Amino acid sequence: MIIQAKDIKKSYGNKRNRTEVLKGIDLTIEAGEFVTIMGASGSGKTTLLNVLSSIDNVTSGHVYIEDQDITQLKEKKLADFRKKDLGFVFQEYNLLNTLTVKENILLPLSIRETKKAEAEKQFKLVSEELDIYNLKKKYPSEISGGQKQRTSAARAFIHQPKIIFADEPTGALDSKAASSLLSKMKQLNKKINSTILMVTHDATAASYSKRVVFLKDGLIYSTLIKGERTQESFYKEIMNTQSVIGGVSVEF
Amino acid sequence: MSFNTVILKNFFKNLKNYALYMFALVFSVVLYFSFVLMSQDDSAVEEIQSSQLMSTGFTVGSVLLVVIILAFVMFANSLFLKRRNRELALFQLIGLTHGEILRILVLENAVIYFSSLVFGIAFGFLTSRTLLMILLRLMQVELSVGLNFSVQAVIQTAILFVGIFTLLMIQNFIFLKRTRLISMLTLDQSSEADYSGMGIGTMILGLLGLIMISSGYWLSMNIIEFGSVLLLVLFGILFLTIVGTYLTFKASVAFVLNMIRKSKQGCVSVNDVLSLTSIMFKMKSNAFLLSLVSIISAISMGLISFSYISHYSVESLIESTVSHDYTFYEEEDMQFYSHLLDDSEIEHRPLVIPTISYVARGDGIISGNGDDDSEISLNIVSEEFVDDTEVDEGELVIHGLSTVVGVYMDFDLNRSITLYNDDYEVTLELVETNEDAALPSFVARGRLQAVVSSEVYSRLEENAIHDKEQAEPHEAFVIDIVGEDSQEIFQLMNGENNPLFESRIEQYTNQIQGAGILMFVIGFVGLAFLMTTGCILYFKQIGESEDEKDTYKVLRKLGFSVNEIVKGLTLKVAITFGIPLIIGLLHTYFAVNAGWFIFGNEMWIPMLTVMGAYIVLYSTFGLVSILYYKKTVRDSL
Ligand SMILES: Nc1ncnc2c1ncn2[C@@H]1O[C@H](COP(=O)(O)OP(=O)(O)O)[C@@H](O)[C@H]1O
Ligand SMILES: [Mg+2]
Repeated sequence: MIIQAKDIKKSYGNKRNRTEVLKGIDLTIEAGEFVTIMGASGSGKTTLLNVLSSIDNVTSGHVYIEDQDITQLKEKKLADFRKKDLGFVFQEYNLLNTLTVKENILLPLSIRETKKAEAEKQFKLVSEELDIYNLKKKYPSEISGGQKQRTSAARAFIHQPKIIFADEPTGALDSKAASSLLSKMKQLNKKINSTILMVTHDATAASYSKRVVFLKDGLIYSTLIKGERTQESFYKEIMNTQSVIGGVSVEF
Repeated sequence: MSFNTVILKNFFKNLKNYALYMFALVFSVVLYFSFVLMSQDDSAVEEIQSSQLMSTGFTVGSVLLVVIILAFVMFANSLFLKRRNRELALFQLIGLTHGEILRILVLENAVIYFSSLVFGIAFGFLTSRTLLMILLRLMQVELSVGLNFSVQAVIQTAILFVGIFTLLMIQNFIFLKRTRLISMLTLDQSSEADYSGMGIGTMILGLLGLIMISSGYWLSMNIIEFGSVLLLVLFGILFLTIVGTYLTFKASVAFVLNMIRKSKQGCVSVNDVLSLTSIMFKMKSNAFLLSLVSIISAISMGLISFSYISHYSVESLIESTVSHDYTFYEEEDMQFYSHLLDDSEIEHRPLVIPTISYVARGDGIISGNGDDDSEISLNIVSEEFVDDTEVDEGELVIHGLSTVVGVYMDFDLNRSITLYNDDYEVTLELVETNEDAALPSFVARGRLQAVVSSEVYSRLEENAIHDKEQAEPHEAFVIDIVGEDSQEIFQLMNGENNPLFESRIEQYTNQIQGAGILMFVIGFVGLAFLMTTGCILYFKQIGESEDEKDTYKVLRKLGFSVNEIVKGLTLKVAITFGIPLIIGLLHTYFAVNAGWFIFGNEMWIPMLTVMGAYIVLYSTFGLVSILYYKKTVRDSL
């Protein structure tokens, strides 16, 4: 297994006014899995993703990535780890406005001092796949929200990380762009065996993955596994579970 | 493209956003460098009699400058860091360590810093000449200002700023270490919007703040009554006003604004959204900064006013303590100098002024502690020895009543004053009081002088009891120069082996130079303080305009025009700058009002000048803020 979470708790606020968002989550993700976390708005999806990806720290519990407890890791090791093994796609795009689309995407490669020809090749591959190759000379202020999101995704994929964390990666995309991004993720997952952990509230997006974990009231409510089923029937089951949990239809 | 090129590109493209930070730096360098350069101007030092005082003044001033510059630059740096949060977070996300990010920051800052240093030194060189001219003017020293570039001043400035640079890098490092990645990613969204309601607690605190300030003011108005516990009362006033100011910002302002908001019963206009609510949210968390700004500006203005008052009052202060151009201790000395002046054909008038002392009482005298039958001791001088004073038989004029004495002692005009001793008494009518001294101070010995007609004087003298124990001079030996006294005459008389004497022009020169340096140093440092507080408020506004960009966007989408939004923001700027301004002005007024008489005899002109300059300064900063807001609003859609 590549990610293992043991009894994760996370609360916000001070002593007098505490809210416990995660109340004890146990989760194991095998290498090469594509897992989606779903749940109502405010159920703690983003919080869980942040905690698992070393961006936020837990209140109690442990997160092991490849048997290393990242809750105990030194800053330097963590940085090294993010550099080599992790890729992030965010709800907010987190692009540098001062750099072109291409420069933004190549950022992870440039800090690893990848050869120019190799970087060029990777860039062409990823950006064509996400349909942003023609935008490479543009600045973030000159492109649309969906294009920004794809740029941010391309940056997460370019160094072929072991694990990709994605928070609502299709939030700003129309259905066509969304499906091309999700296909790309699925393909990365298949081809180079990247592990993907994605947060979404969109059942269609979730149906691309192999496993869906539902959060409710700070705990794992249920887990669905795609198995040998078609994407279609998996989608239906996800919809059913969502309506059981409730609150989904009002979420946008 | 290597990572270094990426960083460089990012840096140069961002340079526009660093403008503010660079401005803060250049400004600080200019302040410090011109100050140091000036203090090392040899030609000026040579010319000035009180150069010792000058160097002390400049040392104290430069220490204060270092303190304010350090605080200012660190504040600017922290705002700057906050702006770049996202960027720093992203670098961490793609796997840079804190050490590597710090290295980037050090490099970038080094570029900004050292170019600012060079610019600042160049500007500082130019401004220092102007400043030196102002200083010499204040000291009334005639000297043309040359170009004097001092390498030592450059080195001194460079060392200071390298030191500050190191401190800033430590600040950056602590920021990186202490701030979690997650909060950096979300920092600019969750800024200061923790609004904990308008409870009864806020109301009580708000009221308490206003009461504390008012009682501080009341104490300062009545400070004279607390002569015996003066120090205690002074600290009490400081405590009341400082804590009161803080509470006012923490609670009173929000409280009052909330009342206004409530009175609108939900119909909030765009003005309210942009000004009232925004300020209510921010005022509480900015309370500390705003009280600091008000208190610092009040202290600066108070000190500048005091030094201006003393500079302004030098001449009349000399008039009230020094009665004649030259004063001598012995009659022979006077004759010696009289011959000396005759030899140089300088027209002059030697005088021997007899005086006697009498005790006085009567309705005309009101002492500070309100006793009716208070008695004072007066030096009596005959009218013929006092210029410009006409006294008829039966009348009396009081001389030497300076402002400081006036605080403790007052006189009722056209009432009677009786001069008496065991054998004799005469009652006269007080017709006038006058600040100018009629006798040299070592003859008057701190007593006021009563000028009477020569007939009255001879009668008083006949009946005087010459007290053997009081071995004080009963004659003053003076020389008045006919026409204007001058430095040349003073130099002529001030030979090395000549007898001692006191000279009005010498005392005047010393005091005006001392007061000039004092006023300049205090004015310079004080102005630096005021400028930095103004800058800090301005920086704050820039930060807030960035935070509120989304609000402007929403409002414009709803159909509000740029001008409508800017109108609301203008109100906000007016409140943000206006409240510290008003509180600062009030504090200054009460502080100056309580103590001005110690420094001189004119309060209003100096104080109002200083206040006027402050108002202009703050209005300028406010105006610049509004322009900035306008630009942000225009670009928001
Ligand atoms: N920094 C924070 N401080 C306090 N509460 C927070 C913070 N971040 C998130 N929360 C709370 O935690 C809960 C879960 O948030 P989040 O994980 O963002 O939900 P979502 O499932 O929509 O992504 C929400 O109720 C939110 O109010
Ligand atoms: Mg979320």
